[in-house]
Amino acid sequence: MEFYAVNGKKRPIRLCDATRRFAYESLNRKYGLDTLEHRAVDLDGVEGYESMTMLERYDVAIETIVREARIRICENEKLSGAATFGAAIRHGVPARYQGQTICMSISHLTVDFETVLKKGIHHIRKNAEQSLEAHRGTDREPFLKSCLKCLDAFDVWHGRYLDALRDRPEYRANYENLKNVPHKPATNFYEAVQSLWFTFAFLRLCGNWPGIGRIDYLLGDYLKKDLADGRLTLDEAREILAHFFIKGCEWINGKYIGSGDAQHYQNILLCGVDEDGNEVTNEVTYLVLDILEELGISDFPTSVRVNRNTDETLLRRVAEVMRYGGGVLAVYNEELVIDALLRDGYELREARKFANDGCWEVQIPGKTFFTYYPFDSLRLLQQKTLRAYDGTVDFADFESLYRNYIAEIRGEVERIFQSQQKYFEKIGDSPKDWKWVEQIPCTVVSLFEEGCIEKGASYQEGGPVYNLKSPHIGGLADTVNSLYAVKKLVYEEKKLSLRELCEILKKDWEGEEQLRQSVLNRYSYYGNDNDEIDAIAARLLSDFADICVSFNDKCGYRFPAGVSTFGRQIEWAPHRGATPYGRRAGEVLAANCSPTPGTDTNGATAIIRSYCKADLTKLASGAALDIRLLPSSVEGEDGLQALVGLMRGFVLLGGFFMQPDVADAAVLREAQERPEDYRTLSVRVSGWNARFVTLNKEWQDMVIAQNEHV
Amino acid sequence: MHKMNMYNRDNRLRVTEIQRFCMHDGPGIRTTVFLKGCPLRCAWCHNPETQKATAELLFEERRCIGCGACREACAYGVHGGIDRHEIDRQKCRACGACADVCPTHALTLCGKEMSLEEILAEIERDRAFYGENGGVTLSGGEPFLQGRAAIELLRLCRQRGVHTAVETCGYFDEQLLADAVSVTDLFLWDVKDTDGERHRRYTGVSNERILQNLSRADAFGAKIRLRCILVAGVNTDAEHYRRIASLANSLSHLDGVDLIPYHAYGGSKATLLGLADNGRRDWIPTEEQIAEAREMIGR
Ligand code: SF4
Ligand code: SF4
Repeated sequence: MEFYAVNGKKRPIRLCDATRRFAYESLNRKYGLDTLEHRAVDLDGVEGYESMTMLERYDVAIETIVREARIRICENEKLSGAATFGAAIRHGVPARYQGQTICMSISHLTVDFETVLKKGIHHIRKNAEQSLEAHRGTDREPFLKSCLKCLDAFDVWHGRYLDALRDRPEYRANYENLKNVPHKPATNFYEAVQSLWFTFAFLRLCGNWPGIGRIDYLLGDYLKKDLADGRLTLDEAREILAHFFIKGCEWINGKYIGSGDAQHYQNILLCGVDEDGNEVTNEVTYLVLDILEELGISDFPTSVRVNRNTDETLLRRVAEVMRYGGGVLAVYNEELVIDALLRDGYELREARKFANDGCWEVQIPGKTFFTYYPFDSLRLLQQKTLRAYDGTVDFADFESLYRNYIAEIRGEVERIFQSQQKYFEKIGDSPKDWKWVEQIPCTVVSLFEEGCIEKGASYQEGGPVYNLKSPHIGGLADTVNSLYAVKKLVYEEKKLSLRELCEILKKDWEGEEQLRQSVLNRYSYYGNDNDEIDAIAARLLSDFADICVSFNDKCGYRFPAGVSTFGRQIEWAPHRGATPYGRRAGEVLAANCSPTPGTDTNGATAIIRSYCKADLTKLASGAALDIRLLPSSVEGEDGLQALVGLMRGFVLLGGFFMQPDVADAAVLREAQERPEDYRTLSVRVSGWNARFVTLNKEWQDMVIAQNEHV
Repeated sequence: MHKMNMYNRDNRLRVTEIQRFCMHDGPGIRTTVFLKGCPLRCAWCHNPETQKATAELLFEERRCIGCGACREACAYGVHGGIDRHEIDRQKCRACGACADVCPTHALTLCGKEMSLEEILAEIERDRAFYGENGGVTLSGGEPFLQGRAAIELLRLCRQRGVHTAVETCGYFDEQLLADAVSVTDLFLWDVKDTDGERHRRYTGVSNERILQNLSRADAFGAKIRLRCILVAGVNTDAEHYRRIASLANSLSHLDGVDLIPYHAYGGSKATLLGLADNGRRDWIPTEEQIAEAREMIGR
């Protein structure tokens, strides 16, 4: 039972054999494969289906799902509840009518688990009943009825687990816990973990991909109390919590599906301040770190909120876990994120609650509707400003070129804004007179989002407190490098005219090797701490953020700016022409806020400095930086201190979010050859983790390319 | 002895490279300033480009695309050859003109003079990452070969609250010692061989001054981490380990002993200078040899 470690070091053992075996078997696909056979329920036999409203169809689907779902109880499990339909893993509600999945499910949100733990499902039902009474006879009624139906469905599924566990003495604890939770408030740590897991599993069963959020904040007080009362030891608590993580890797089937199978956005946040500004870090924080360290489970991409006062012991512990690789831990600069949220209009107490959406985009959990709109800034530069090199464009100076380009960015954000109009219906003359248009049903997640039940509006129909559509700029480094090369070559050194350069680019640098090499090597690009080019990046991000903000509150959404590519640069690359900074058409592009692979030569600190020169408080959705480190470079006490130093510097300089991954390109190539030997090897892809061998070849190659240049 | 300082004026240093985000040149994150010139000529040298005290032209053939720009730029006819790029190093004045135009960095001038202000500006860049542990490391070559200016640089770093470390071969003017110790938070002190005869054979100089400086530095209160290269078949014997152990015991402010197993990569760097690859696979110690050394030295 070896859990893969990139640095070749033995992972420490704290958990008992049975738990370790459970983890090992789960990681090796013992439980997920049957989801391939049981993909979805079939609604073909439902009477009158055709004449039902969308919402009624959804309700029938959920009712059928909870009745027909296979009950899975794993050997020795300490927590029960399992999402067992394959279609859910593919982001759909696992119900079909005439062979078609009836609708997509919801992701990119972290729901309000706090209410479930502290008040229970009964409380949610009471709210729904009251709201229904209040909204009787209005157009809110159908949604609120749907809420109650979904709560009934929850009870049915819950009841089936109680039945399955009742007469099995080995699962007595599971049964006893489930008799109380999630319906009633959790009264101790074990119940709280079961309550959290069962609710989460229900959301997943119905197809949704929620994040977990701040697990130490959610569970810390329960554990403190149990420890004080002598009900539980830390070792016992670790076992229970380990089962939570292990249950989280049964939802895989190990199939190659492009971006990998572990990326179900079950993100976790650790540490940081609570609403009142007090540090949250507690015993649960350290237990999570212990578990990640021992089992290397990557299915819950975990981030740590770090601030200037973060304890040295904690940072060292984080660094220790990071060194085993797998990209299981990332870092938020808490103060900066809170500043960004304040700047975006949140109250301080609200901003302090931030978690992420299941990826790294920041949101207030349980209160936020979120989606994002990615676009490639390099495409705009090439195809609009430089008209894909047809030689017709010219600009008197760099400033005019830049302004033209920013106008294109504005055009892109404007298009995103315009595309939102379909969600609103005009009901009057003033710009404020509109109402939400009915959307695809999503009652199950709406139950756990503050505002939905109160307003009688679903998650997608303006129910939540905050409704965000975030334009995300991609291709940052590639664009900035291109702009910089044009600025130097054409406008400063005047080596050739813009038209001549376009001519060369159109021919993909053919016959211009000397010039190409010189452009590639003699300028210092984004990621090398070159103030001149970093200023272009900072300016571009600032201008982009201003554009986004200008669309705020012109409809039901706000438009916080973000930077991301996630993995999209793989799809973009083949469609991009030669770049002014010396790359040929179709070459590998940059990820998120990271430098273009191969252009950074000064190491991680220089990359962080380049990135931090932008005012990231303007990017309220987030801006992720991937940092790749070789296992050998973070070895020993020196290496540990270096990782801590990297995190501290990142915070001091005003970074937003950093995903350091300790990986080795050579090892990854080997895993590509012999996947069977590397089943538990995970990598940080971009905001999420995946077991490397479940990525398809293109994605694997991208991850390898990103690690090649460290 | 004063002649050892003749290479530079007091406020300038001849630098081969400034490397940021170094993690194994002392504690924390460090910026390592490699200085040019070394009094030793170790047969296993990993940084042969730092040996000579003056600037030198480096050529990495693999990167050359044969564009000929260097030929046009050089006033001394150094670059020649038709099928293969040939460099007549005898004629080279190390002016750097060719390196300035080479589009691929196949040519670089190693050992530019920099002012202390310029170097400090580079060091300052990573200040946010140093924390309490990290900082600057002077390495080389032998930093104290450029004695006064090196010490001045360390003093200025100290003044700015940057932790200072020096990686030294120990072979330098003892008159510098008191000042060197006063501005250096940590010495990474190479003890290449405790056997005097072998030391002379493999490094070109006797180890007498090195060991003398070491004990005097200790007397001045220097914090010292010993760095001992392990070269299989050369210094992988029990007697040497015993002497290292007793040397370590003799130091009152010892920070530890690092064993540095020889590796062959440095050898290929010699080819940049137009020399033969001096890497030797038979010098690479085995895991067992490393373990044995660690065991016997007991640190
Ligand atoms: S450094 Fe100067 S002298 Fe030497 S080869 Fe280059 S141009 Fe010629
Ligand atoms: S300038 Fe550089 S690339 Fe061109 S021939 Fe000379 S060494 Fe080769």
